[in-house]
Amino acid sequence: MTTVSHLLPKDAGAAVPRAGTLPLRSGLGLKPEHFRTILDTLPDLGFFEIHAENYMVDGGPFHHYLTLIRGHYPLSIHGVGLSIGGEGPLDEAHLDRLAALIARYEPQSFSEHLAWSSHGDVFLNDLLPAPYDAATLQRVCDHVDRVQERLRRRMLLENPATYVEFAASTMAEADFIGAVVQRTGCGLLLDVNNAHVSCTNHGRDARAFIAALPLAATAQIHLAGFAQDVDAAGDPLLIDSHGAPIAQAVWDLYRYTLQRTGPLPTLIERDSDIPPFPVLLAEAQQAEALLLAAAEPRTEYA
Amino acid sequence: MSTLNKSLTAASLAFALGAALSVAATPVAAQEKMADKEKCFGVALKGKNDCKAGAGTTCAGTSKIDYQGNAWSLVPKGTCEKTASPTSPTGFGQLAEFKEKKA
Amino acid sequence: MSPQGSFAAALLDPERPCPAGLTAWNGSDPAPRFRVYRNNVIVSLIDALADTFAVTQELVGEEFFRAMARLYACAQPPQSRLLAFYGASFPDFIEGFPPAAGVPYLADVARLEQLRVVAYHAADVAPIGSDEIGAALADEGALPGLVFRLHPSLSVLGSAFAVVSLWAAHQGLRELSTVAPATAETALILRHGLAVEVIQVSAAAGVFIAALRVGESLGAAAEMAAAEDAGFDLAGTLGLLLQKEAVTALHSPRRSS
Repeated sequence: MTTVSHLLPKDAGAAVPRAGTLPLRSGLGLKPEHFRTILDTLPDLGFFEIHAENYMVDGGPFHHYLTLIRGHYPLSIHGVGLSIGGEGPLDEAHLDRLAALIARYEPQSFSEHLAWSSHGDVFLNDLLPAPYDAATLQRVCDHVDRVQERLRRRMLLENPATYVEFAASTMAEADFIGAVVQRTGCGLLLDVNNAHVSCTNHGRDARAFIAALPLAATAQIHLAGFAQDVDAAGDPLLIDSHGAPIAQAVWDLYRYTLQRTGPLPTLIERDSDIPPFPVLLAEAQQAEALLLAAAEPRTEYA
Repeated sequence: MSTLNKSLTAASLAFALGAALSVAATPVAAQEKMADKEKCFGVALKGKNDCKAGAGTTCAGTSKIDYQGNAWSLVPKGTCEKTASPTSPTGFGQLAEFKEKKA
Repeated sequence: MSPQGSFAAALLDPERPCPAGLTAWNGSDPAPRFRVYRNNVIVSLIDALADTFAVTQELVGEEFFRAMARLYACAQPPQSRLLAFYGASFPDFIEGFPPAAGVPYLADVARLEQLRVVAYHAADVAPIGSDEIGAALADEGALPGLVFRLHPSLSVLGSAFAVVSLWAAHQGLRELSTVAPATAETALILRHGLAVEVIQVSAAAGVFIAALRVGESLGAAAEMAAAEDAGFDLAGTLGLLLQKEAVTALHSPRRSS
C-alpha cells in the first residue's frame, strides 16, 4: 500500500492493544528528534502523545515513524487546532481530518483545549482565552458535544494557561470546567502546570482551584515547565513555555492532585529547548514513581 | 515539429526506456555513501503545531520594525555575502547529484 | 467587531491597543499580559517559517530573516490549522520585498525549500515494477502515447539562478565560494523512501519531467525536451526516475481503431 511499508518490521502493531484506556503510567510527548532513539532503545514508558495537527499530512516520515512507534506503545492524540472556545462553528473539515487520524492510529485517548485559536479564516497558532460567561459556556458545550458526536468517543478537555482575565467573566474557571464536564460528559485533562501558571498569574490558590475541579472526571494529567516574567505591577507572570524542567512547585501540586485522584496517566510535555531523550525519560520516571505511590492506601485530608 | 517527431519514433522511445531500465538496475556505489546523511535530513523536520509559549519575550511581539518607516534600511547579512564573486563554473554535469559529488 | 475579532486583530497588528475588557487581578495594566499572546502568535509563526526556510535564513542572516518573516506573518497569517505548509506564498513575498532585492536568488532558494517540505509530507505511493515497464516495452507502438504517473512528492523547479548549488552549499555538500549564483539551474525534488532529495538536472530533463508530471504522453514530453535541447538524454532521465522509484503508474491510452 505504501512505498515505505516494506521497511516496517513484521510485528509492527501486534503487541499493543488498539483500544481501551491509557495505562496508569507516565508518558512523553513524541518529538521527531527522538523517533530513532525510541525505536532503537524501546524505553520503558507508559505511552506517547502526539499533537494531532502535526500528523494531518498525507505520508512520509512522520506517519512511517508513528506507525512503528504505535506498534510498541499506547497513544494519546492531543489536538491543538480545533478552536473549541471559538466564536464561530467548529471546522468540519478539521473534524474530518481528526476522525481519519483517530481511525488510523486508534489512540487510547483524545484531548483538546479550553481555548480558541482560529478566527474567521485566520489560524493564530496559540491557545487564546475566552471569558467564563454563559455565552461561552453554551458555545463550548455545543462544540464539545459536536466533537464527541463526530468522533463517537469521549474527549478530554484541558484547563488552559492564561495571562489575562475578562471583565465579562461571571464564573470561576473551575466552575466553568465543572459545568462543561457535567453537561457534555467529557473528561478532564488536568494540566497541573497550567493550573500553577494560571493561579499564579491571577493571584489564586492553586490547591483550592484543583480541589474545585471535577476531579472524578479526570482521565489524564499534563506536567510541563514554565518561564518566568513579571507584569506591569512587578508581580510574577508565568509563561507556559514547555521549555524547561518541571518546577518543584508543580511537582508538589502534582502530588497534591494525586492524593485526591489516585494514580492517573501522566504526560511530560516538552516543546522547546528539547533535551536529549534520557533527560525526558528521567522526568517521566520521576512522575511515575509519584503516581505509583498514589496507588498506596492513602489518608484523606481536607 | 514534424522533424522532431521523426527523430522520436516509437523505436527510439523503446530503446531509451530499455536503456533506462538498465540504468535504474545498476547499483550506484556512490549513492550509499550519503545514506546516513540523507536519513538525517529525513527526520530533520519538526512538528510545527505545538502548544508552547515563547519564554520571557513579552516585548518581542511589539518590537518596533525600524526598517518599515526607515526606507528599508535593513541589510541582508548572512552567507549571501560570500556568494557575490562569479568565480568558477559550477562544474556540475547533467543529472549531477550532490550526494554523489560529495564522495 | 466581535470580541474575538478585536482580540485577533490586535494580535496581528502591534500598532493596535490592547483589546478592551481585559483585567488583571492586581489592577495592573493588562497590556503587558496581552503582549504574551501577541508574542506567542508572531514568534511561533516566524519560528515555523525559519524551520521551513532554513537556508533562506542563513543566506540573509537571522536578523534580516526574522524581520522579513514578521512582516509576512502579520500580512499573511496562516489560513490553515496545519502549520506544516505555512509559508507557501513566502517566496513570492520575498520576491517583492525591496530590501531583499540585492539577493535576487533568495526567492528561488525559498521555493526549493518549500518544495522540499511538500515532498517530505507527500503521500506514500508504491513505484511500478520492472515487469510493468517490460509490458509497456512489449507494445512498442503504444509507447509514444504512454502516460506516466509520477510520485506525489515530485516537483521540478527551474531557476535563472544556481538554486541547487546554493542549497547544497548550505548542507556542507560543496563550497559556497565556488558557486556562481547567476548560473541557471533546474532542480528535481522528490522523496525516495524516507529521504527528500534535491537533484540537479538539465533544463531539458526538467522540461521532460515537468511535462510527464502534468500528464503529457512520453512522446510529447520527449519532443518538448528535445525542442529545449536537441542533445537531451532521454534514457538517462527515464533511468533517473526509475532509480528514484518516482514512476508510480503507466497508462496506455486505448488505441483508436
